[in-house]
Amino acid sequence: MRFFFHINLIFLVSILTSNTFAQNQIVADLSQENVKISTDFQGAKILLFGAYDGKKGDDIIVIVTGPKGLVTVQKKEKILGVWVNTRKVNYINTPKYLSISSNRKIDDILNKKTQKISEIGLNNLNIRMQPGIKVENEKQWRKALTRNMLKSNLWSINENSVSLNKDALFRLFLGLPSNVIIGQFEVKILHYRNSKLVSQQINSINVSKSGISAEIYDIAQNYSTLYGIFAVFLAVLVGWGSNLIFRKV
Amino acid sequence: MYYHDLRNNIENFMYIYLPIAEQPVHSLAILGIGAFLGLIMGLVGVGGGFLLTPLMMFLGIPPPVAVASVANQLVAPSVSGVLSHWKRSNVDFKMGTVLLLGGIVGSSIGVILFNFLGKIGQLDFVIKSSYVIFLTLIGTLMFSESLRLILRSRKGKVTRGKLHQHNWLHGLPFKIRFRKSKLYISILLPIFIGVIVGILAALMGIGGGFIIVPAMIYLLGMPTSLVVGTSLFQIIFVAANTTILQASQNQTVDIVLATILLLGSVIGVQLGSRFTNILRGEYLRLILSSIIILVSLKLLIDLVTVPSDLFSVIISR
Repeated sequence: MRFFFHINLIFLVSILTSNTFAQNQIVADLSQENVKISTDFQGAKILLFGAYDGKKGDDIIVIVTGPKGLVTVQKKEKILGVWVNTRKVNYINTPKYLSISSNRKIDDILNKKTQKISEIGLNNLNIRMQPGIKVENEKQWRKALTRNMLKSNLWSINENSVSLNKDALFRLFLGLPSNVIIGQFEVKILHYRNSKLVSQQINSINVSKSGISAEIYDIAQNYSTLYGIFAVFLAVLVGWGSNLIFRKV
Repeated sequence: MYYHDLRNNIENFMYIYLPIAEQPVHSLAILGIGAFLGLIMGLVGVGGGFLLTPLMMFLGIPPPVAVASVANQLVAPSVSGVLSHWKRSNVDFKMGTVLLLGGIVGSSIGVILFNFLGKIGQLDFVIKSSYVIFLTLIGTLMFSESLRLILRSRKGKVTRGKLHQHNWLHGLPFKIRFRKSKLYISILLPIFIGVIVGILAALMGIGGGFIIVPAMIYLLGMPTSLVVGTSLFQIIFVAANTTILQASQNQTVDIVLATILLLGSVIGVQLGSRFTNILRGEYLRLILSSIIILVSLKLLIDLVTVPSDLFSVIISR
């Protein structure tokens, strides 16, 4: 984040064509920049590939961060023999999607302190409890957040998933689960040499609803009463129609 | 390779992404469940709504979406059912109208309650626990009733009851004559029943057939021949009102889910009503009540066993 180089696309192309690699650059592209959630959506698999100016032993870490916002953690307690949600904690600024991928174990690439400073790792995120909430055992709640996000596949750590080739090319399959949240996703590619950040690049993926699915969702949100009336109308029509059809059979 | 692609395409086609539930489901599974419950509805006469919502929850559909979408789908088999009962002149429209007035008030209260419970984060719990209570109640009653009938018919004893019993409820004020049902009772009684059923319809995604049918027989004393048609008549309006209010207040009606379910259920209802003669009613009820008891047990177990994780997360959209 601190050494933010925004690389112009035209500049990129010129690098590629002239074949004269500038020092410490990453060139990367995605097989798909726009993910459309339509009626047949079951998750997406995106290929991230590119070239870097590497040396033997260099490492690549890729962090994909989805839209950030409010995530609530609830805790159940036993009341009269039944488990009921009794307490909740709101976390603000929480990524609703996060995947951290690397070519080998992150602990082998960076020491704990660097991980913390660079905000790499599920416990090093800049997530805060909503001001005003007081709970005992804060760590337990934060752990529960991580555990549940991992379970829902919205957060993931994929060590050894980045494949490197001849210290020049890298390749990674990014998986977006079917329950992914719509919005802008940031793809940050970090290139490390002896635990030092040499270069980085940021791409983005836009996840949106499309087709009938998107239209239905929009109508349900914006014209909700009309949507309800239409839903009833459709049901009446099918009920009446089935009666007409089956009467003859 | 071509074969593989083709199979993949078919597989993909089977999955449909639900726009409101925001998850893919297997369309044939939903269609099958709809047809199965329609079959029960056609065979036994009572709706499958109270089984449909729990089954949707078992499939992982969020309870609020399951409840609202099932209310939507209920409109279709009810319309279909009323039309065929109407032809046989088995609908008391006057009684139905009084019941539905109560029902509309009740379902409106129910949707407001639904919204409130959602805000305080107790909605899932209330939906599940009301299902446990009602399914256990209905399941056990139905089970013992049908078992008694079966045992009695084995002995070959036939008893005849009165037209209907009179009790203190018939002494309430604002009496009205319902010619078709041959009743002269207080209007407050059907309105009250309507309100209760309306609240439950909104909260649980049911037509309330399993509550209103016994209530009409035992509390109002209506002739049994009119009960099913009249209750279906009022269910149309209660379910319609619930759907529109759920859509406008809570945005939880998934029209895709409801449509797949109702396509399945209208086919099932028609098949069911054709096969009523194959199995005896008592045996059908015995089977159905066993299913109901099993479903309520599953829900109860989910509520009382220690959750694998005490914590859960809600991701705001």
